[in-house]
Amino acid sequence: MAMTDTLRNTGPAAAAAPKRSRTTLWLLAPGVIWMVLFLALPIAMMIYISFWTQTTFTIKSDLTTANWISFFTSTTYLDALWTTVRIWITVLLTTLIVGYPTALFVGLLVKNKTLQTVLLVLCVIPFWTSFLIRVLAWRPTLGTDGAINFILLNLGIIAQPIQALLFSELSVVIGMTQIYCVFMVGPIAFMLGRIDPNVIEAAQDLGAGFWRIFRTIILPLSMPGVVVGAIFVSVMVLGEFATSAALSGRKVNMLGNIIVTQVGSLKWAFAAVVGAVLTVLMGMVVAGLLKVVDLRKEL
Amino acid sequence: MQATFAKPVLAVYLGLFLLFLYGPFVVLAIISFQTGPEGGPQFPIIEWSTYWYRHLLGLTPPSRVAPLPISEALVRSLTLAFMTMVVSTVLGTAAAQAFRKRFKGSGTIFYLIVLGMMVPGVLVGLGVALLANFIGIQRHWFSTAFVLHVVYTFPFAFLVMLAIFNRFDQSVEEASWSLGVSPAKTFRKVTFPMIFPGVLSAMLFAFTLSYDEFSRTLFASGRDLTLPLAIYGTFSVEIHPNVFAFGVLTTLFSFALLAVYAILMSLSVRRARRAALQEEI
Repeated sequence: MAMTDTLRNTGPAAAAAPKRSRTTLWLLAPGVIWMVLFLALPIAMMIYISFWTQTTFTIKSDLTTANWISFFTSTTYLDALWTTVRIWITVLLTTLIVGYPTALFVGLLVKNKTLQTVLLVLCVIPFWTSFLIRVLAWRPTLGTDGAINFILLNLGIIAQPIQALLFSELSVVIGMTQIYCVFMVGPIAFMLGRIDPNVIEAAQDLGAGFWRIFRTIILPLSMPGVVVGAIFVSVMVLGEFATSAALSGRKVNMLGNIIVTQVGSLKWAFAAVVGAVLTVLMGMVVAGLLKVVDLRKEL
Repeated sequence: MQATFAKPVLAVYLGLFLLFLYGPFVVLAIISFQTGPEGGPQFPIIEWSTYWYRHLLGLTPPSRVAPLPISEALVRSLTLAFMTMVVSTVLGTAAAQAFRKRFKGSGTIFYLIVLGMMVPGVLVGLGVALLANFIGIQRHWFSTAFVLHVVYTFPFAFLVMLAIFNRFDQSVEEASWSLGVSPAKTFRKVTFPMIFPGVLSAMLFAFTLSYDEFSRTLFASGRDLTLPLAIYGTFSVEIHPNVFAFGVLTTLFSFALLAVYAILMSLSVRRARRAALQEEI
């Protein structure tokens, strides 16, 4: 009797609180369970399997560090690790070089909102073509009988087609830059668009030149955009294998390519080790980038 | 400022950027009209023809170039994209609805969901393949690949819906509740029409991302290929312009999808405006 009294006294608000949190639980549960089962568990499984024993055709659940030791002693694996890091740094720089000035123009110098939207939409349209087709399109562009060599030959700029354009590390970097540069342009343009024009005007009135304004106002304020773009590009490039497979003629092997090869030959435990190394590498890169700029404070 | 100097320089830079972005597409479109079956993906164009388009549709006599195995793959990809779209939109809307109220652990759950779109496909693909082997189930495009597609697209749907709910006027819902309308009916009659544009965007995201998804599907699907896997199969062999003709067609298909989205969107906007007008009367 006393209990029903207190319930009645505290009114509907108190009764609604547990009910509301139960609703929240029911709304969240399917999504969270899905992510735990099909995202967290597989990654954990991969790390677990990397300690299994690999025989010629099967894997056994006897725990061992042999796979890890063979990763760090094999030149093939270490070469792939180095290639991955090298391509990642190169593509990060090229996307920044290609993307930053573009974002500067679109985000800051174009004052007309309609034109700005049109330009941003132009950047996104390529995503409406299949990723693999976009990669493959570089083959007839860069090849010996490709568009660039054809144009250069006909203009008389070169006498012989440039062989190094396709099936080299250069073509992989060109392809990845084209595919991923938009992920750099977007966040930077977004941050630049938020800069108060009055700040720049004030600096102008005080006699600051373009470089001075760029160095002291525009660059620092756009840094969060650069970091977000860098995180997108890093994560995608580090996990790449299709572009390097299609444009290097199997000459450039990244960690992703090694995983594909190992799975193809049923070396699941080896593939798992490479996957685990890739996960660690990616975690370090993202954590490092987040150290540069405190995103939560800036955004 | 010397923006008078910087602006034209950057405008030229933007032009070069767009050339870089679109150049390969132009090449792709040109090569797709190469004559066949003897013409390859090379310049110059020997003779303009629609051979490779007819080849793609199986309208040419058999030649040394094997047709792309796309018809069944297309059906699978569309089915998979549709399943993914429905499930991830429902999950995304439900999760975003939950995030409208503050609760403990929301930060962790937010990152768990967003992780789904950040983790590279090759890693989760490998993980799910290992998991499937471990518990001894077969991998199929409609089971293991499907759950991974949702892992990938659900975060996009979630973020879109979160943005929509952020700008949402809650008092309308509260008015409906206080008039004694049940929560389920309120959602159907009040909330849903208001968030419909967001739902549509989430669906578009999920469908196109899943339709084009490749690296997750590679390990997680079994023998039956989806469309991107069929294209990946051409990587190792000599490529022919039929792949490029296919690229042109899929791009057109994507634009058609975008047009449908635009039409539905403008219809919903117009309906909302008409409803607002009626209220005024």
